[in-house]
Amino acid sequence: MILRITRPQSHVTSPGRIGLRSAGAGYILVLVVLPILAITWEAFRKGPGAILADLARPEALYSLRLTFILAFAMILINSVMGTLTAWVLVRYRFPGKALINALIDLPFAIPTVVTGLMLVVLYGPASAMGSFLNRHGVEVIYAKPGIVLALLFVTLPFVVRAVQPVLMAMDTEMEEAAASLGAGRWTIFRRILFPSMTPAILTGAAQAFSKALGEFGSVVIVAGNIPMRTQVAPVYIYGEIESYNTSGALAVSLVLLAGSFAVLILLNLARRFGRCGDA
Amino acid sequence: MKYVHCFSRYHRFISSSAGTGVRSGSFMEGIRSGILIAGFATLVAGTFSGFLAGCSRPREPVEQVPEDVLIMAAYTVPKDVYQERIIPQFQKIWKDRTGHNLRIEQSYAGSGAQARAIAGGFEADIAALSLEGDIDRIAEAGLLSPDWKTRPGGPFITRSVVVIGVREGNPLNIRDWSDLTGETVELICPNPKTSGGAQWCINAIVAAGMSAPGGSREAAHDLLKSIVRRIKVMDKGARGSMTTYEQGIGNAILTYENEALLRIRQGKPFPYIVPPTTMLIENPVAVVTANAEKHGVSDLAEAFVTYLYSLEAQRAFAEYGFRPVHAQIMAEFAGQYPIPEHLRTVDDLGGWDRIGTDIYGIDGLWPLVNQEIWKEK
Repeated sequence: MILRITRPQSHVTSPGRIGLRSAGAGYILVLVVLPILAITWEAFRKGPGAILADLARPEALYSLRLTFILAFAMILINSVMGTLTAWVLVRYRFPGKALINALIDLPFAIPTVVTGLMLVVLYGPASAMGSFLNRHGVEVIYAKPGIVLALLFVTLPFVVRAVQPVLMAMDTEMEEAAASLGAGRWTIFRRILFPSMTPAILTGAAQAFSKALGEFGSVVIVAGNIPMRTQVAPVYIYGEIESYNTSGALAVSLVLLAGSFAVLILLNLARRFGRCGDA
Repeated sequence: MKYVHCFSRYHRFISSSAGTGVRSGSFMEGIRSGILIAGFATLVAGTFSGFLAGCSRPREPVEQVPEDVLIMAAYTVPKDVYQERIIPQFQKIWKDRTGHNLRIEQSYAGSGAQARAIAGGFEADIAALSLEGDIDRIAEAGLLSPDWKTRPGGPFITRSVVVIGVREGNPLNIRDWSDLTGETVELICPNPKTSGGAQWCINAIVAAGMSAPGGSREAAHDLLKSIVRRIKVMDKGARGSMTTYEQGIGNAILTYENEALLRIRQGKPFPYIVPPTTMLIENPVAVVTANAEKHGVSDLAEAFVTYLYSLEAQRAFAEYGFRPVHAQIMAEFAGQYPIPEHLRTVDDLGGWDRIGTDIYGIDGLWPLVNQEIWKEK
């Protein structure tokens, strides 16, 4: 009885349900599916050969490579640091915790252009910090480390916010039981905590990856945007649109879209697989 | 739609100003400011009622001045001169000539973005853009005649040249393009892909390389490569580059003379040099005939564009840092606008189509140079 209420995936078809279902599906269709189909259709209009030719341009390839490497780096860094942050926020008490917890969402609230500007003001060559780093041969802004910083900033909330509720819902009983049976801390983490956190980490990481693939506003300010040096794919796309090469822009967009889609599907599959292994 | 918008804007203004009075200070003060505000509101309402009548259809037979509306799409750079000089002056002329009030709805954005917007349905009557090619885009969309360039006086209303901004006292002693190739140079230059206008800067380097003694495409390639190697930041557009440079980043910047003169006009020090060989920038204007006809303002639009060539408008442009196209005004401002030894034009480079393929196309100099620099690492 309760199960039916919490999981109302009923196959009984009443007019109301059909209406509701088509409203939900229609909403996704209009907002997400149609634009994606439109861009795919537009990109393929000149044929797959034209897409490949557009992608074969060295600047396009370079910008895609740089973007994907950075996005994968975001998966790795966010998985580790995001989980750690969530862990600290859930399991430890310290002064200012509520404030820090609130700050986690700030990157979503700040316009990305402002993010870029903040980083330039702090680390830019004209700043105290920037000139100190420059003297020691470290270039942050207008170089790749600047892009990494900007991407880390804008992707910070995903893993933290995905893992936090899982940790909060998790009972310490299992850990205590394991400890009483002689399991060490590492074993407890590996056998109990990690498996239950994995799906959440994967979800957050996939979102961070997609965000990193498409990030424009902050990167265009910190990157320097020099072709084949510091130009990421979204900036390349923007440049091609501005110089009336729509097909070149569409081809690269399509790769970003496909990459994002593939990773979301892969990580979803991994999540499912992980859950099955769990049982 | 327009009527509703007009009314609600002023309605909101009046009601919000009345609201302030209620909130402020003590009771007496409240009453006093309330009266003041009420008086002010009446005044405001009175002032705008003429305006309102102009916007909405006349309900009562109040004496009213007819209002003409012109929609102008311009690139961002000349915004100040349009708003402070050209438009108020022309409004006065129009009023004298026709007795009508003139409202010019202005939109300022990047030249390419404006061209795309107009081609995509933004109903501007006038397009005052930075690049000839951007107006061609609008012509391709069928909104104006392909022979728009045949206007008497030419299609261009202002000019400028590519200059090199240097730091105070020119510590690197930059005099010419070749001085930008040194190890210590950190150059700021907008990205020619994201900013159509920024192509002028790269074109200038190519033109200088080709027209130097013994110049050739190879020489242009080598010069471009050794300068691009020194580029530290490529912002999205010329204004972005200027902001970066003003933050103290880099020790030289490629920009346009009008940008430099604008800085100086604003009271900021901006030392710059005009290289011996540089590029002549020409900014076009056109009546978007399809839109002007649709709005029934063809005569007005033509009159406005014609006015842009007048002595008065040309002088205003010159004062705001743009080289006038009118010879007489150019002579007046000869001190401010030195003629470089070799002033190259788009035609010298074979026209925009050739530039599109030879410099920015798939096998053009620009991608080639960037690839070669990448391979060196």
